[in-house]
Amino acid sequence: MTAVIEAQGLTKSYGSKRGITDVSFSVEEGEVFGFLGPNGSGKTTTIRVLMALIRANSGTARIAGLDCWQQSVEIKKLVGYVPGEPALDPNLTGGQILEFFAHLRGGVDQAYLKQLIERFDLDTSRKFRQYSTGNKRKVVLIQAFMHRPRLLILDEPTSGLDPLNQREFDSMVKEVRDEGRTVFLSSHILSEVEKTCTRVGIIRAGSIVRTGGVAEVTAIKRYEMTITFATGVPVDVFKTLEGVVAVEASDQGHTLRLEMQGPADAVVKAAARYPVISLTSHEPSLEDIFLRYYAADAAPKEAEHVVA
Amino acid sequence: MWSLRSVYLKTLRDYRVAILGWGIGMGLVVVSPMASVAALVTTPQAREQLISLAASFAWNADVVAVDTIGGYATWKIGIFIFLIAVWPLLAASRMLRGEEDRGSLDVLLSVPRPRVRVALEKLAAMWTALLAMGVIIGLLAFAGGQKFGGDFSLGDALLFGLNLALVCAVIGGLALLISQFTQEQGPAAGLTAGVLLVFVIMDMIHRVIPNTEWISRFSPIYYYNLSKPLVPSYGINPGAMLLLLALGLILGGTAVWLFARRDVGGTVPLPRWLRPPQRPASRALPIGDWSLRSVYARSLGMVAMPAVWWTLGIAAWAVWIEVVVQQMAARLSNLLSSSPAMLNLLKNLGGDAGINETFLSALFVFLPLFLMAFVVTQVSAWSADEQDGRLELVLAAPQPRLQVLLGRFAALATATIVISLITLVAAAVTATAAGLKLDLGNLAAATLGMIPLGLLVAALGYMAAGWLRTAADTGLLSFLLAAWFFISFIGPELKLPEATLRLSAFYYYGTPLLNGLQVTSVVGVIAVSVVALGIGALRFARKDIAE
Repeated sequence: MTAVIEAQGLTKSYGSKRGITDVSFSVEEGEVFGFLGPNGSGKTTTIRVLMALIRANSGTARIAGLDCWQQSVEIKKLVGYVPGEPALDPNLTGGQILEFFAHLRGGVDQAYLKQLIERFDLDTSRKFRQYSTGNKRKVVLIQAFMHRPRLLILDEPTSGLDPLNQREFDSMVKEVRDEGRTVFLSSHILSEVEKTCTRVGIIRAGSIVRTGGVAEVTAIKRYEMTITFATGVPVDVFKTLEGVVAVEASDQGHTLRLEMQGPADAVVKAAARYPVISLTSHEPSLEDIFLRYYAADAAPKEAEHVVA
Repeated sequence: MWSLRSVYLKTLRDYRVAILGWGIGMGLVVVSPMASVAALVTTPQAREQLISLAASFAWNADVVAVDTIGGYATWKIGIFIFLIAVWPLLAASRMLRGEEDRGSLDVLLSVPRPRVRVALEKLAAMWTALLAMGVIIGLLAFAGGQKFGGDFSLGDALLFGLNLALVCAVIGGLALLISQFTQEQGPAAGLTAGVLLVFVIMDMIHRVIPNTEWISRFSPIYYYNLSKPLVPSYGINPGAMLLLLALGLILGGTAVWLFARRDVGGTVPLPRWLRPPQRPASRALPIGDWSLRSVYARSLGMVAMPAVWWTLGIAAWAVWIEVVVQQMAARLSNLLSSSPAMLNLLKNLGGDAGINETFLSALFVFLPLFLMAFVVTQVSAWSADEQDGRLELVLAAPQPRLQVLLGRFAALATATIVISLITLVAAAVTATAAGLKLDLGNLAAATLGMIPLGLLVAALGYMAAGWLRTAADTGLLSFLLAAWFFISFIGPELKLPEATLRLSAFYYYGTPLLNGLQVTSVVGVIAVSVVALGIGALRFARKDIAE
């Protein structure tokens, strides 16, 4: 597989405002890459550097082997883009906007464009200013997909879409993936990323803190185990075991809640020495991992702990 | 911050620049004719000529003591009421409707405060702003009176400002009322401007056609004109001022009452027969629409409608001044012969030739000024598009940035050429129809000579937009226009050095109606435009695009 997007040491600062610092990642051809981060973390800045809307202070970004700034026009022929906050001429109708962008791009299959309009059930006769948030998003999504781009760069693309249209969007992303095209998707809807993406990158405070396969990220051995005993057990026995990050006892030592990272073998063997009533383990969701990275008080420690 | 403690204070805070800018600007509009009175009445004959000439323009305003500072200023700004009303018209049409458009009213109305109160606080802020502007205009009028020998007191000047504020409140109330029936702020402003034009004509009609005063009584402008505080012998009409106050309250109050009863984001339901037909939902695409084929075509589509209105205005000005010169030839000649100072003033602008030709030539200088004002509005639109993120998706399409900027510039250049050509045709046809002897070549030079000046302002505006935000860019260009006009109009009287006079773009326009175009000047202006556009294009190609 070849890398469609390659970012190396991207840094962008806005004077006193934070931008991004030394951001590096790559996205392979044919994968759906989820880009996660809270507001102001640098997702949109990174995307706008890739789209040559802003210029990085340092570092390089390449799409399909082309330099994002120097060869931006060639790159944009390959890319479909959905900005985070789409602003379009409020006096044009949805149909006029789509037709205008079809002309700017050239080579748009009108039959496919009409098919997209039908899939999203868009009324193209209304002015952009008269559309609801969801309908505005539909217009922007259609213009991104209409030329069957090799790469889709989508900044929070489903924001404002109702569940039915979100499902339509999900199926369109799957179709793109099945056709071997690539999607770079930033989102806050982690369950959606978990469902649709093959790999994810997590950005915090302008820096990438982790990239990897969705399975790899969710398999970080940080999970919660709850063991209920018939009698009280000494907490200290468990504190020093391999894989235990923290232990919390309740119910006079009858119940232990263990925060785990790594194999549970030592804990299971230690627990077996006492009469166990129940043992439950909670698998971490991407949501859990995401929130853990951004827990304000633990942030520096986490970053150090997790970055591969 | 104290100014964010209530809707009233926040709205007033939003108006602070307008209060100062519009107040001072309109104050100067009032003061500027005062400066010329002294030059117009140097001899008893000139005084008589002035009164006689003003009587010929009675359609513009009542002719009351026009040979005094206050009387002349009152008469001169008669038709400028249309200009003075622009701010309340725009402010009131966007007061609620503009916020609804942006969605910010939804948030504002989510606070535990009655909807009527929110609207009333906003309306009260506009009235306060108008009052403050009235005070500034009054103070400037008083200062002008003091400087040029006016006989009205500070109280009179402040009453003059109050009278203006009252008629503006009526127009603002009307715009606010109309905006309850329109989905967008633009049509509300446009409809109010149309109604205002009708009011101005209704007021005018009784001064032109006898026994039609009953028609004029339906216009608020009529009641505004009943008070002339700058003419102490005439004074004010308290009843008329109270009527304007009542009208303002009724119109504003009705608008607020309707606003409280309609959907936010919706309009007051019209009777079925007045409603526009519902368009059925459609999935069709406007495949044959020429204006969507390129950035240039789209830009042309955007500039088309404003260009139509500005063309009408500019061409109408050219036609009007030709008709005026033709009809007033004898009186103008008499007046200017007996007012050497005024003649000098005109020569600064119009050049040295026969009086009629000089007068016509001087008035023709306003044509490029109007064209450049049009260009400023379009440069402002370009800058706003970038600032508001509307260029982001266009630049995400495979279009070189240079092509996007030059496409937009080319559309504006096309509009300036079309405006100039239509003005030339209109002026030539009028001159022929009116029997005015004009050199057709010079007329072409005077109208087509506007094009380089328009392009110069556009290029400078596009260049500045590379660094400045919309308000600063628009402000800078407006200041530049005012400074250029001041240098060319007043500069020679102030004996400004030649080097300073050369800083004005009007210097290079010259007096084409009399002397044709100076090729070197035109080439120079075009060269500066090319350099400015080049810098602007380079900057745009490299800059970060606003989100």
